[in-house]
Amino acid sequence: MSTASAPVRRSPFKKWCDQNTGLFFLIPWILGFLIFKFYPFASSLYYSFTDMNFFKGIREYGIMNYIDIFTEKETRTALLITFKYAFITVPLKLVFALFIAYILNFKIKFVNLFRTVYYIPSILGGSVAIAVLWRALFRDTGVINTMLGFFGIQGPDWLADRTWALFIICLLRVWQFGSAMVLFLAALKGVSVDLYEAATIDGASKTRQFFSITVPMITPVIFYNLVTQIAQAFQEFNGPYIITGGGPRNSTTLVALLVYNYAFKENEMGMACALAWVMFVIVMVLTVIAFSSQKHWVYYAD
Amino acid sequence: MTPMKLETRHKIARFFQYFVLIVVGFVMIYPLLWMIGATFKSNAEIFTGIGFIPTNPTLDGYVAAVTQNYGGDINIWRAFLNTYSYVIPKVIFTVISSVIAAYGFSRFKFKGRDILFSIMISTLFLPQVVLNVPQYLMYNTFGWINSPLYLPLWVPTLFATETYFVYQLVQFMRSIPHDLDEAASIDGCGPVKILYKIICPMLSPSLVACGLFQFMWSCNDFMGPLLYVTTPTKYPMSIFVKLSMDGDAGFNWNRILALSLISIIPQLVVFFCAQDAFIDGIAAGSVKG
Amino acid sequence: MKKAIALALAGVMSVGLLAGCGSTGNSSSASTGTDAATGETSTTSSGAGSLSISWWGGDSRHTAYQNALAAFTEETGIQVDTHYGAWSGWEDQTSAALYSGNAEDVMQVNWNWLSQYSGDGSKFVDLNEYSDIIDLSQFPQSTLDACTVAGKLQALPVSMTGRIFYWNMNTFKEAGIEEVPSTLDDLYAAGEAFKTKLGDDYYPLAMGEYDRMLLMTFYLESTYGKPWVEDNTLQYTVEEIATGIDFIQSLEDNHVIPSLQTMNAAGIDGNNSIDKSEQWINGMYAGIFEWDSSATKYKGSLADPSGFTVGNEIKFGDKANGGFSKVSMGLAITETCQDKEAAAQLINFLLNGDGAGIMGSECGIPNSASGLAAAEAAGAVDELVLEANTKVMQFVDFQLDPTYESNDLKANPGGVYTDVFGGYSYGEYTDSTEAATDLYDGVTEALEDAAKG
Repeated sequence: MSTASAPVRRSPFKKWCDQNTGLFFLIPWILGFLIFKFYPFASSLYYSFTDMNFFKGIREYGIMNYIDIFTEKETRTALLITFKYAFITVPLKLVFALFIAYILNFKIKFVNLFRTVYYIPSILGGSVAIAVLWRALFRDTGVINTMLGFFGIQGPDWLADRTWALFIICLLRVWQFGSAMVLFLAALKGVSVDLYEAATIDGASKTRQFFSITVPMITPVIFYNLVTQIAQAFQEFNGPYIITGGGPRNSTTLVALLVYNYAFKENEMGMACALAWVMFVIVMVLTVIAFSSQKHWVYYAD
Repeated sequence: MTPMKLETRHKIARFFQYFVLIVVGFVMIYPLLWMIGATFKSNAEIFTGIGFIPTNPTLDGYVAAVTQNYGGDINIWRAFLNTYSYVIPKVIFTVISSVIAAYGFSRFKFKGRDILFSIMISTLFLPQVVLNVPQYLMYNTFGWINSPLYLPLWVPTLFATETYFVYQLVQFMRSIPHDLDEAASIDGCGPVKILYKIICPMLSPSLVACGLFQFMWSCNDFMGPLLYVTTPTKYPMSIFVKLSMDGDAGFNWNRILALSLISIIPQLVVFFCAQDAFIDGIAAGSVKG
Repeated sequence: MKKAIALALAGVMSVGLLAGCGSTGNSSSASTGTDAATGETSTTSSGAGSLSISWWGGDSRHTAYQNALAAFTEETGIQVDTHYGAWSGWEDQTSAALYSGNAEDVMQVNWNWLSQYSGDGSKFVDLNEYSDIIDLSQFPQSTLDACTVAGKLQALPVSMTGRIFYWNMNTFKEAGIEEVPSTLDDLYAAGEAFKTKLGDDYYPLAMGEYDRMLLMTFYLESTYGKPWVEDNTLQYTVEEIATGIDFIQSLEDNHVIPSLQTMNAAGIDGNNSIDKSEQWINGMYAGIFEWDSSATKYKGSLADPSGFTVGNEIKFGDKANGGFSKVSMGLAITETCQDKEAAAQLINFLLNGDGAGIMGSECGIPNSASGLAAAEAAGAVDELVLEANTKVMQFVDFQLDPTYESNDLKANPGGVYTDVFGGYSYGEYTDSTEAATDLYDGVTEALEDAAKG
């Protein structure tokens, strides 16, 4: 990882330059970090302790915003729903992705075709167009309910039901399991065949092999997917904004959407920043837990 | 276990595998197929059945989508043009600035590198919503809101602010053996020359992958333009679709769906042309250490 | 040596990136005014300067504005750049633009924005100062007073408006009802008839959360004979409000209006108004309680508009007629406008001059006498809107307080009205008193906030 250093005598300045070559390449990144990340990040912390409002000025506000967040129904519900959303979406998505990747990993014909089909939603899923499509699919007289009707099932009013509305937002993200799947697939291909052969000789069943060889060998990928998906899930905005607008009865108002509403609908910047910070701390805690749990279950080959 | 029996078991397993793949694949792709079909249906037909083949195909939806122009202020073509006028710089700058940063992180040892690296990693988990409000205020002081050049949307990418790509490229670079640049260094190549003569060519598939991903994500980006672009003549595609959805004269589903479909065609084309780069790109970079 | 050069290069590159960025930043902020204002559509600039204007509305209003602006450009040589969209999400953008100083020179403003965003008079220009350009005498003094906030005439009223019922009589006839409902009992009877003759999916009336709040206000004012808010104080007790909430619930219980869950299922929510739903388009929801200026919009979206009828106001109690009128919207000049004379010229053109003839009743019946005359002369006054407006103005006896429409109360989702009426309809409250308490507290708090300024 070190640069080749020629054994020639140099002036102290040059020597310093030699030792810090890398730093020069990081100048743009450092500037970018300071201007576009750190400064907004720090000022957002400051605003969170004020009652900043676009039209009413700014005033020190202590921890009132934070108290409000944990006492008011609106924010508590949003936090709760966001947890619910993340804990439904992330496991469902990962299990699904792993399952399909596992099947694809048997010498399947047309593996590329399947892979493409599964991957397309991941590419398009974030677009407004897909959110429009989702609204069309899950209307009360939409395709999904018509389809359920064929099986004699009276589908729920997806967009109006407080339980199901959140579920269809989850479904939109689970539908995009392709990117996680591709990662799993690559990892599965990396698992040495010898391990399976040895296990087969020992008479281990396929299920047993899956749980005692496959899963342990790909834990780094599981870990990576888990961490990135959790971070993503807590930031979900487009889905609820376009599909349900946060309704019905705020049942799909995830934290990111509520932050937006506070900031740009009600002009309560202070509150918006505080809520964003609460969410950041939650994501951070989850990430730290995930990282510190690593040593117990993630297996790094090298 | 007789060989015969094993054979049947295999066949059953095979059948099961394909069955699952095809059923799941169909479910996955059906919404898109239905969408394509629906764009050729009349508004009256769209919600009458679940089939995706229209009984009386019509181009009304497309005609409406293409001709809708809000008094000449914005139409579908201009929306495309607007989108790419910031997406393309964004892609280029992201790739260049990310490579430079990744090079600094992965190929050199210096004091404080590990701290900087962990800061970089931690910004990966920094939710955008935390930054939105102060960024908005900051761009406002810069005079960038509703900038005709879409400054807030691409200027930050000049500074390697897209952490995800920096991280990806660091991972890629780590997998390139050091012997190569050491050899080049002995031949008298400086670090910059090593970057573009040796690292970049070896990295080109990953660079392409990064570029492609940034392209997709930038085209999909909705919140950025929502906050920073307010003049209809400057609307990009994502906002144009939303504008069209909000139109007051009833809800012409075939028009909206046709417009939505057209809006994602370039992305689909890019994806099909470069799907290997996508899939290899995502698979190769993410998890190495 | 090579290494030193390389380092220098890397440094230069990063500085170059910076510098490049800095300069683009500068040049753009300098050019925002001109580039953005002229836009790419405009033909070669005549040099007579340029303006920008923003409004919200439906497609037909967009067209009317665009035509009027073209006429203005032809007359004066002043180019006008435009910014417009649908109402949903509009206020978010506008308030951010007002805050950041990016607002257009001339703005179509909602009446409550004057006190909400410019309660100290800092955002909009005092139009009294341009009375040599704008003929203020064409407007009734009362509406000018309503637009005077912080001692400044911050906007000119475009029109006065109030809420009224509209019916799709085709569906009513199918249900065996020939007459427009005129009493509360007529409404209940219609609910019953729709349910039995047409089925559970048919309702004589459909109302969102805010519509319910408005109708409840009409009901309360009529029953108790006092305005909703007077001198910035809520005039009603929790018990009185509870009777109003019970009244709205009785409409739901008697199949007069669908529950909000039913409406959400049909895709009607804060982002999608009733006129976009199939239920309205196809006549399954056969009535609305809307602004008089919305008549054409709702009629236009019907599959078969032949039965669209302006209803009568309904007197629910015996103390007063109830209900209110308000300044629907105004045109204002922002303080950031560069050429305020030209902006004033544009406002005069749109409200008093030839522009009013082109705008017609797109933004309601013109409040300006000469504007109304021009619109009538041009045959651009919609009969429906005129009829609705006349009925509303003859009926209502109260004025609206500006806080009534404040965002804290009205926002959907998140506003107090939305939470109370949505929550009640979804069965989140145990009784109407609990809901009434929430509404009482929410309104009181909003009024206190408004008083603080």
